[in-house]
Amino acid sequence: MGLAVLLGLFALLTVLGVPVAFALGMAAISAFWYEGLPLMIGFQRIVAGTSTFSLLAIPFFIFAGELMLHGGIAARLIRLASSAVGWVRGGLGQVNVFSSMLFGGISGSAVADVSALGSLLIPVMKEKGYDADYAVNVTVTSSIAGIMIPPSHNMILYVVAAGGGMSVASLFMAGVVPGILMCLLLGVVARWVAVRRNYPTEEFAGYKVVFFAFLASFPGLITAVIVVGGALSGVFTVTESGAIGAIYAVFITALVYRSLSLKDFWVAVIRAVRTTGLVMILVGCASAFGYMLALYEVPKVLAETLTSISDNPIVILLMMNLILLLLGMIMDMAALILICTPIFLPVAVGLGMDPIQFGVMLMMNLGLGLCTPPVGGCLFVGCAIGGVPIQKAVKTIWPFYLAILTALMLVTFVPSMSLALPNWITS
Amino acid sequence: MDSSSSKQPIVERFLDMLAYVATALSGVFMVVLVATFGWLVFGRYVLNDTPTWVEQMALLLVTNITFLAAAVGIHERTHLSVDILSLVVPKRASQVIDIVIDMTILVFGLAMAIYGKELVDFAWFRTVPLLGISDGIRYFPVVASGVLMSLFSGYRIVTGVMRLFMHESVSADSLSSDVKGDQ
Amino acid sequence: ADWKGWNIHNTGYPVTVAMESFIKEADKATDGRVTGRVYNGAVLGNQSDAIQMLQVGGIQFAGFNLGPMGDAVPEVNVVSLPFIFKGLDHMHRVMDGPVGDELSAAMEKKGIKALAWYDGGARSFYNTSKAIKTPADMKGEKFRVMNNELYVGMVEALGGNATPMAYSEVYQSLKTGVVDGAENNWPSYDSSNHFEVATYYSLTEHLILPECICVSVAAWDKLSTKDQVAVKKAARNSSALQRDLWAKRDTESRKKVLASGVKFNEIKDKSAFQNAMTPVYKKAVKDNPSLQYFIDAIQSTP
Ligand code: NA
Ligand code: NA
Repeated sequence: MGLAVLLGLFALLTVLGVPVAFALGMAAISAFWYEGLPLMIGFQRIVAGTSTFSLLAIPFFIFAGELMLHGGIAARLIRLASSAVGWVRGGLGQVNVFSSMLFGGISGSAVADVSALGSLLIPVMKEKGYDADYAVNVTVTSSIAGIMIPPSHNMILYVVAAGGGMSVASLFMAGVVPGILMCLLLGVVARWVAVRRNYPTEEFAGYKVVFFAFLASFPGLITAVIVVGGALSGVFTVTESGAIGAIYAVFITALVYRSLSLKDFWVAVIRAVRTTGLVMILVGCASAFGYMLALYEVPKVLAETLTSISDNPIVILLMMNLILLLLGMIMDMAALILICTPIFLPVAVGLGMDPIQFGVMLMMNLGLGLCTPPVGGCLFVGCAIGGVPIQKAVKTIWPFYLAILTALMLVTFVPSMSLALPNWITS
Repeated sequence: MDSSSSKQPIVERFLDMLAYVATALSGVFMVVLVATFGWLVFGRYVLNDTPTWVEQMALLLVTNITFLAAAVGIHERTHLSVDILSLVVPKRASQVIDIVIDMTILVFGLAMAIYGKELVDFAWFRTVPLLGISDGIRYFPVVASGVLMSLFSGYRIVTGVMRLFMHESVSADSLSSDVKGDQ
Repeated sequence: ADWKGWNIHNTGYPVTVAMESFIKEADKATDGRVTGRVYNGAVLGNQSDAIQMLQVGGIQFAGFNLGPMGDAVPEVNVVSLPFIFKGLDHMHRVMDGPVGDELSAAMEKKGIKALAWYDGGARSFYNTSKAIKTPADMKGEKFRVMNNELYVGMVEALGGNATPMAYSEVYQSLKTGVVDGAENNWPSYDSSNHFEVATYYSLTEHLILPECICVSVAAWDKLSTKDQVAVKKAARNSSALQRDLWAKRDTESRKKVLASGVKFNEIKDKSAFQNAMTPVYKKAVKDNPSLQYFIDAIQSTP
């Protein structure tokens, strides 16, 4: 009965349109009240969820991403992508995907990717005769690279939700191959659609231009090397590497590129603070919600139910993916990572799956959820920038979904896709 | 804010100012947070004397940022939500739903202020390890956030109800619902 | 009453087995007037949050480590003073005697009723580069410590660089050299896999931190006197079981890590380490004068 209060109220409030964070918080607090537990503990859980040491990297990555955008690093990356892959049929589609791959390797966040690259690329694409829905579709789906390619604050959330004991650096490495593969598949799809719609092609500017574009964006690209390399080599912890990445980004954009004014800096700070607040309050409320789920032993019961339906690993993995996809359609990624990890991870491990591989699968699956209606942060932002109604963008997004689903199935059933790189590096 | 429809521009300006102060304060905290981590790494490698207060202090800072910015998110309507119902129901129903949403947030904000105060009192005589200050301070931003959220949502309820009864043709939400929600 | 129990350890750990045995025996002895369930693996939150839950009645019983208990009950910090106990047996005599009762009374004033004391083993330093034989071997080395002024002071007094760090970050930090060493008991050194990356274990045994099985005073006061006696007895029995299991686990872990190639050294004369602690004790008493009484009481316990 208490569980019904928890889940029912959450569903009701979410459908009404209460922000997801507060729907989670309100449902959790109501369940505390229903169970006669001190409400003070409910709020203590919310605070405890936000003040977790391993999560400190989240504001750092978000801040570094904002600095990249406002300090001109994103624009340089696009120039590099444009000179390198712009000559393919429907070249700007390829530029878009390739930019996401580069930028995603720095920002650590998919929504930051959409707003950063989308606001630069979508208007240009429209101007050059690409349909707005195509521009939005490419931008939105390729932004999942921000989650897959390190650094990624969602991966840190996953490690925390899994109860620690897993190396963030290994998980970061594990996302590289699947992230690049996903982008390649999206590139193929982007070209296929571009050919059918007869989109224009840019002229190849020559290797010299590519080289100089690379040089110009190099100091920016180094940010990723500092963040990921610093953590991998042990110079810093992952948390510290996030902070050092942000400090380096200030240094490079203000002093080397000289494209970050004091005003730009403050804008980046304010935007980072806003995003941090939205993400972290969601994390906090999800942890109060998760406390009640743990009290009701929901993870245990659900895991038992899942394994009782079938003992075929393939069927169970497909079922898990389906459930995650459905949940991803209606809920936000951060909350789902925190709630679903304790439920599904033990099942996956029981099937012999490596927790690192499961993490990569979870990231890609929930990343797709960011591009689907009705709740999809990336889709919302992309459509807002492109000036396209969500229904219209979604009508033609299917080939792109298929590309991501293909990558997802490969990640699910081919362990070495995720595990080969981290194993190679640590051995 | 749509000041032309507002009967109390002063109240609105006051709330805008509160939101601005909260945002700016969190911004300062963010800069300090990053700087202290730079100091931590510097201390460990260059001075070989790790500053032991950074970790606990960082947790306090991030809690402050989170709760202040989350309250501002209510004022600026930037929290991620499912907007499906308001798209399919008639406009007046959607105005009523908006009021219900704001009332939920008001209740949550009030509870947050009340129980945040309880947490402050409770933790007051406990110390934060390695900082030597009262652990009650950890819950200050919870109280502040609760009060801010109540003010922001309370004002929206008042304007929402007025709009409902005065049959004004002002759109239910003239703010752009620009989603800045990161995940 | 249906009691919820907080426990940081996982299934099969000595504390876990003992807590489960406690609640089962309490159930039986009170004819089902006390029932309950242990939530393992800290799924309900970290210890400092759980202490608060116990104090306000969110949970009814818990297995707490006395190290972090000092933030809530300052007198308890006495057990966090390095080398305060002469050895495991001495710790048992102190905690099972009048000093233990007085600490229990201090905790009870804060709403925490300690029913019996569990073992948490003796903590020693381990590191990646060399055996520690004298404090000089720690000079300039970065040692991870738990969040407590006393532990920071301890490492600094020994000449090391004290680095407080979340437990979850320690393995990776040892592996990559963010820190050079840490300190813990044999079973944790084993279960955390730190022995894979920090292969020198030096038997300083500087901290012997007891744990306790605690009940919230609110839940305790609701019991009849007869049930209180029964529940207390169940706690005492679980403590005997836990100490037994712990001793076994301690030996097993020690054997296991030594077999894996850990280089281990005993320290015949610990006086150099002990003497270095004078400023730590002085500062602790200056910050909290009530500790002096407990220090004297423990040191005069035979
Ligand atoms: Na990334
Ligand atoms: Na979605």
